[in-house]
Amino acid sequence: MEGKSEIVEVKTFPFPAGFNWAVGPMMERFIRTLAGRKVLGARCPGCGYTYVPPRSRCGQCQAAIAEKDVVELSGKGTLISYTNAHVAPDGNGNLKDLEKPIVVGAVKLEDADSVLFMPVEGVKPQDLKIGLAVKVRWREETKGAVADICCFEPVG
Amino acid sequence: MRRRVAIVGYAQSHHQHNMQKTREDMVFEVCKGALRHAGISREDLDTVITASTDFLDGRTISSVFVGMAAGAFLKDESKVEEDGTFALYYALMRVLAGTHDIALVEAHTQGSTMNAHQVSCFTLDPQFDRQIGVLNDIAAAALQARMYMNSHGVTDEHLAMVAVKNLSNAAANPWAHRKMAKVSVEEVLGSKVLCDPVRELMMSPVSDGACAVIIASEEKAREITSKPVWIEGVGSCQEAYIRDRDLGRLESLKTAARTAYKMAGIKEPAADLDVVELSEKFAHEELMAYESLGLCREGEGKRLIEKGTTGKEGKIPVNPSGGALGADPVCATGLVRVIEAAKQIRGEAEGCQVPKVRRALAHGQFGMCAQKNMVFVLGGNGS
Ligand SMILES: [Zn+2]
Repeated sequence: MEGKSEIVEVKTFPFPAGFNWAVGPMMERFIRTLAGRKVLGARCPGCGYTYVPPRSRCGQCQAAIAEKDVVELSGKGTLISYTNAHVAPDGNGNLKDLEKPIVVGAVKLEDADSVLFMPVEGVKPQDLKIGLAVKVRWREETKGAVADICCFEPVG
Repeated sequence: MRRRVAIVGYAQSHHQHNMQKTREDMVFEVCKGALRHAGISREDLDTVITASTDFLDGRTISSVFVGMAAGAFLKDESKVEEDGTFALYYALMRVLAGTHDIALVEAHTQGSTMNAHQVSCFTLDPQFDRQIGVLNDIAAAALQARMYMNSHGVTDEHLAMVAVKNLSNAAANPWAHRKMAKVSVEEVLGSKVLCDPVRELMMSPVSDGACAVIIASEEKAREITSKPVWIEGVGSCQEAYIRDRDLGRLESLKTAARTAYKMAGIKEPAADLDVVELSEKFAHEELMAYESLGLCREGEGKRLIEKGTTGKEGKIPVNPSGGALGADPVCATGLVRVIEAAKQIRGEAEGCQVPKVRRALAHGQFGMCAQKNMVFVLGGNGS
């Protein structure tokens, strides 16, 4: 045991915990509407800030946002930042090397203020730049789940 | 402030990758160390505040065995989540309220328990971002870095220069984790690309470590030490959730600093502060912080690193200890900055000492892309 720890290694984490979160009516509508290939936002009646996904309370001005404030967005947006991610957490507390780097983009949607953090696909490395016009690429079969949004891809 | 409060003792661990020590032992050692440094005993403490995060500790109510190791047995005690500077703020309020005179503040994380980057994913919105599954603190930092760099013509070399400054400063710090006396810009740029432009040496290491600080009311402080370090100003502010903030700037740090400066009577930070200790988890955050702290104008952060203004011999040294790039025992990192700043004022900073420090700033943060920020202005004429 010379120079070595006498601490016994105990592995009890991660534990399989199930949580049930109420998503609320706005988020439920957002998720269900994805089935029809539409992205919804919520425009604050107090300050005009538009949240995606919709929220029922405005953090900017603390107004209540109601279902009448839900707006339909184009699903198009602008890449305001991006990174080629070479590593990701492996779920067990370590970083793993990704087989192929993935592009993670920060996307500002048309007529919205929130920024979405999404995988970006179908862009040639030399075309990847801030300001690139992008749109949602939908999964082939949508079913009303967050996973219906496959990634963002260049417009046209 | 109505009542003056001073730092009268402190201690920190030798931060390292895997300490091979129980959390209880690690906490015990720094708390005993801080009491010894102050020359007081457990009986003198009125209250004990600890800081940690249950997720990082790998158990709920993780303070259960920490409080006793910190000397809190049958005393007023509380725990604050996240950074140790938040715990110091809480302890300061207790002393300012007049209900307590002497407080011990302890903070710790053992990164070897559960990787902090993994834990960062659990801080995201479970209904959306966690389901999309591509965001973590490193990717988020990379997005922030590129946004900031794009706005102000900052290059990868500028980020590498920050890393070179801090990692070589850390080499002179006996408590630091990542010490690289001879590191070069090329070596930093050549280190492993994690999420571009962020390389391995531009990101803080995951450390095991703890620290403790003892604060006291003016009357008690003068009894305890001839070199009190006064808390002259404090400010705290936080950003909205990552989807709804401007990632390209550290607006909450700006507000926190403005609040602390007002309290401390600081008008020109670059002239009034003698040293700054930052919790920069990524190199680009340091450049952004120069601007938010008012050490330069917006977009001019790169000039300070180019000109060596923030080097150990510069006009306003930043992170002479090596900062968070030198060691990052997550929840302890901000409180370590407070200790490093206090050491500078007392003339106890060993190889990291900067001459003639009267006023120092210490910064703590928590959350992705520095979501929550805390600024302390410390003062004294100890050395
Ligand atoms: Zn609003």
